[in-house]
Formats: sequence, structure tokens, C-alpha cells
Amino acid sequence: MKIKSIISCLFSVFVTSCFALTLFAADTIKIGINVPLTGFAASDGKSALNGAKLAAEQVNDAGGVLGKMIELVVYDDQASPKHSVPIATKLIEKDKVVVGVSGSYSGASRAAAGVYQSAKVPYIAAYAIHPDITRAGEYVFRTSFVGEVQGRAGAKLVGQSLGKKKAVLITLNNDFGKSLAAGFKEKAGDFGVKILNEYQYSIKDRQFGAIVARVRADRPDVIYATGYFFTAGPLVSQLRAAGVTVPIIGQEGYDSDTFIKIAGKSAEGIIITTSLDRDSDDPEAKDFIMQFEKKFNHKVDMVAASAHTAVKVAAVAIAKAGSPDRKAIRDAIAKSEVPASTGIISFNALGEVIKDVQVQVVRDGDFRRHSIIHDPVLLAPPTK
Amino acid sequence: MFIFELLVQGLIQGGIYALIAIGLTLVYGLLRILHVAHAGLYALGGYCAILITNASGSFGLALTCSMIIVGIIGMVVYRIFYQPLLDKAPFVALIASIGLFIAMEEIFRIIFGAYGLTFSAPPLQDTVVFLGIYLRQCEIASIVLAIGLIAGLSLFTKYSRIGIAWRATVTDPEMAESFGVDVIKVRYLNFFIGSMMAAAAGSMVALLNNLVEPTMGSVPSYKALAIIVLGGLGNVRGTLIASLAIGIAEAVGTIYLGNILDRDSIAFAFLIVVLMLKPQGLFSKG
Repeated sequence: MKIKSIISCLFSVFVTSCFALTLFAADTIKIGINVPLTGFAASDGKSALNGAKLAAEQVNDAGGVLGKMIELVVYDDQASPKHSVPIATKLIEKDKVVVGVSGSYSGASRAAAGVYQSAKVPYIAAYAIHPDITRAGEYVFRTSFVGEVQGRAGAKLVGQSLGKKKAVLITLNNDFGKSLAAGFKEKAGDFGVKILNEYQYSIKDRQFGAIVARVRADRPDVIYATGYFFTAGPLVSQLRAAGVTVPIIGQEGYDSDTFIKIAGKSAEGIIITTSLDRDSDDPEAKDFIMQFEKKFNHKVDMVAASAHTAVKVAAVAIAKAGSPDRKAIRDAIAKSEVPASTGIISFNALGEVIKDVQVQVVRDGDFRRHSIIHDPVLLAPPTK
Repeated sequence: MFIFELLVQGLIQGGIYALIAIGLTLVYGLLRILHVAHAGLYALGGYCAILITNASGSFGLALTCSMIIVGIIGMVVYRIFYQPLLDKAPFVALIASIGLFIAMEEIFRIIFGAYGLTFSAPPLQDTVVFLGIYLRQCEIASIVLAIGLIAGLSLFTKYSRIGIAWRATVTDPEMAESFGVDVIKVRYLNFFIGSMMAAAAGSMVALLNNLVEPTMGSVPSYKALAIIVLGGLGNVRGTLIASLAIGIAEAVGTIYLGNILDRDSIAFAFLIVVLMLKPQGLFSKG
């Protein structure tokens, strides 16, 4: 008898909670997000998710959108297209999200973009940099730079701001590194920079002894090295340990506190091109940095700021559209003019972001402002 | 001069590969199991080294503790995961091993965090200039440690009683048992020593990179398999030479073939070429 009553009690609790969940669900506006929470990219996935969560929380604290709260529907894609495609379908068909956000890498985002486009659901890539992502169609947008654009900014930084003329490229041989290097090489000549040599490495490499020995023999006066913080940290330490003292220029892949922890003293003076300015006077960026560090007890990085930006752009567009209609939201995103943590976000006809490149330098164990590259012609994203 | 520098870099990498692959070849030689989760123990060695160094300030202590802890965990892995599967087909243990390896990566991520761990003050980072070559102290230490451990292992198997029993068991388990060798004890010893060496490799790599990540075992998990195939499965001397050969092929290949093939492909291309010429591996037991 007793067991029976316990079971019936549990059953009624279960039924009520299901009912409550359905009620709750109907009362929210859903934004789907695919992020790598396990596997090799899990650290970036965690940052991206935290950035997205903070954005959703800020919007909800300010009263939500269309009189409802924003609900993030999160799935782990392991940064793999094999997972991101079924996730996109699930988010669209089952969870009925009104907007999708990619907090993942290019491979996964590029594959998912096609699914969103054919279902006519807006999709915003937060920090994936492959040019083909937005080419999926008019429903796909990107809130960070295409690799080539950031590479061109690197060439200007090296040739014009730093006045260095002999560069060696150390290139990560995936879409990230290659598109950055392509942009750098495209404009290097215009700024009088000669490329002595280019060496490639794979994302799994942490030991760069052979490349370092070769770079030392090349005697460049600047090194443009693409990579993520987990490859760049060991690379920079090994270059400095081998007595290579010339400036090393990195990009947004370096933009993590973990890079500084790995490279230690060798990180000092490393200059990177990125989307987030730590010394910004802009209230959006200042507020984001302060709130993020308070909430997660972890220093901000580019990935977190980019995911925060993408969710904010989505929320503003939903509010502006005035309804959860996906077509209306798509049109509102296309006309965005949103102040966010990574700058004022607006898009060109292809859905690519138009904004300045932030240049940061490591000083006393922190990223600090070095300069800002404002050059609408050089930084013009592709339009088709 | 530059080639000499590449050779030294190849030897550093090869020494690390050797420490990992020897454990794997020992397990294969004795039990015919491809112990993929060995790479998980290697990563665990790296984690132990960083955590203990950060807590105690002594890398030497951390290295020793890491080797002992991981050695014991290696024995536990044998007892829990492999022993019950010994009478099943070899692929059953292989699947269990792959599953265990994936689980270990995710357990590391859940316990130690997705961002990886670094030394708060990385030891042995000063640079020494030797014959015009820049080497960090940790690079020299990793070569010395690899030589020391491998030499120690070879002396142990040659001259100690249990070492001889071990070799006898690898050659002919039934015959060894009939001569009174405790086969079970030999298996535990095998896992202890193999895992201990993987932990040493993991600790040195943690020091070389100042970083351990949940997925740091992913490359060794398959590259060590390539190395033991190249060395003739189950052959310790062959594994040692194959490790150094792959280390050097990668160092040279990164520079001269790096824009066509990445480092992993170089190792596997080397493996394919050797297997085409010598299908039994470089040093098969015949």
C-alpha cells in the first residue's frame, strides 16, 4: 500500500512537472545554439556558451523580448559537421527555435548553415571564419571577421604600424590558419612586406622544434603565426626559448587567458588582431567584461565576446521584428545596427559583419589595447 | 648544422614516443591486446605532474609520484577491464580499450576543466646553447630520462629474476608457467612498468608544452600503434628504433614536406613505405 502511494505520488509530481515545463516552454522565445562542449574544442565551447548565457540573462533581466523570456536551447556538436547537421535539424524541427547561433568552429558551422538556409531559419555564426558559411544563403550571418579580412589587417599592422619588412609565416594548416595566411599574403606586398618562408603545422602539434630551428636560420624581422591558444602558447614559448626575439603577430585564436598562462613570460609583447578591446571606453564592452568576469570567475576571451554578441544581435532582431516570424527576424537581422561587446554590428548584403579590427598586446600578463585598425576599404568583407 | 639541429629535435620527440610505445608493445607482446587506453594513462601522467608540482613546488617529486600513481592505475585497468576479457576474441578487448580511452578524455575534462592545466611556475625552462643549438633544460631532461628509463628496463629484463621470468612468459606463456613462473604477477608487473613509462612521457610533455589538455592522448593513441607495428609487434628493441626513426622523419619532414603533408601523415607515410618493403615491420620476431 505504502509503495503504491509513493508511486502514485511520484507519478503525479511527474505529470505536473511535465505540464509546468510545457507551459514554461510555450512562454519563452527559443534561440538554438550549437557549441563544442566535449572533444578537442571543448574549451572554446565552454567560453562561447558562457558568453551566450550571459547575453540571454541580460536580455531577460531587462524584461525579455516580445513580453517573453529568451530560452537558449544548447547542444554539443563536438566541433564536427557530423553532429552539427542533425543538431540543426533537431533545433529547427523539434525545438522550433526562431534563430540559430553557432558557437562552434568553421567545419560544423558551414555544414549547419545549409540546413538553416533550406529551412529558412536565421543562423548567426559567432566566430567561425570560413568564407563559405554566409554563402549558404540570405538567412546566414556572421558577427566576426572572415579569415582573409583579419589576415589583411595583420599585413597592415606588420608593414605599416610596426614597419617590419621581412616576415616568416607559421601557418596552422586548417581553414582558420590558411584563410588568415591567405589574407596576409594577399596584402603583404602592398605594405612592402616580403615573405621569406611559410611553414605549416597541424592542429595537434605542440612541439615545434624543427620549425623554430628553421625560423632562426631565416632571420626574419617579424613572424606572423596563426593558431589557437593551445598551439600558439607552446609555439611562442619555444620561439622565445630558442632566442628568437622579433615581434610575433597572432590573431583572435590567441585571444584567451590560457594563452598567457601557457606562454608565461614569453607572452609579453605578443601582438594580436582580434574583436574584443579590453581597454574599450564603450559601455557595452566594459559592461560585458565586468559582468562576465564576475559571473564566471574566468577572464573574458574573444570567443565569449563573439557568442555574447551573436545572441544579443538575435535578441534585438526578434524584438525589432515584433513577432517570432522567422522571415521577419531575418529581415531585422539584415538591417541590424546593434551596439555589442565586439563593436557596432551591421551586415553587408552577404551577411558579413562590417567593423574595425582591434589590435591587442600582452602587457604584464594581460591583453591591453595596442591600436585599432579602421580601414573600411582594406577590411571590406566579401559581398558574394 | 641545421640538419644536426633537426636530428636533435627528432630525437627529443622520438624519445617521448619511445616511452609511450614501449608500454604498448609490452602489453601486446604479453597479452595480444592493443591497449589504446594507454594514451589516456599518458595524459593522466601529465595531469599528475602538473598538479603535484603546483602543490609541492618540486618537479622531481611530481615525476616520481606521477609514475607510481599511474603505474598502479595501469594495474587496476588491467584487473578491471582486460582480465575479464582475456578469453574473448582480441577485438573485444580492443573495443573496451577504445571505450575506456574516450571515457578517460571526458573524465579529465569534467574533473580538471576544458581549458587544460599549466604549471604555475614551469621548471627547467632556461635555455642552454650547446654547439650552436638552443635547447631548453626540459628538452635535455626528456632525452636523459628516456635513455635512463629504457636502459633501466633493458637491464631489469636481462639480469633480474623477475625480468627473466617476464621475458620467458612473453616468449612462451605455457612453458613459463610450467616452470613455476607466476604468470599473473608478470602481467601486473607488465602493466605497472608500461604505465609508469607512459606517465614519465606525459610528465615530460607537460613540461615541454607547459600544457596538459583532456585530449593530449589523442595523437599518441594512434601514433604509438603505428610505431609498434613498424617496430615489429611486441618487440621492444624494434619499438625503440622505430620511435626514434619516426621522431626524426617527422622533424625533417615538417620542414621539407610540411606544406604538402602534415606531421601525422609523415609518420604514416613512413610506416606505409617501410611496410611495403618489409611487411613484418623493421624488427619482427620472425
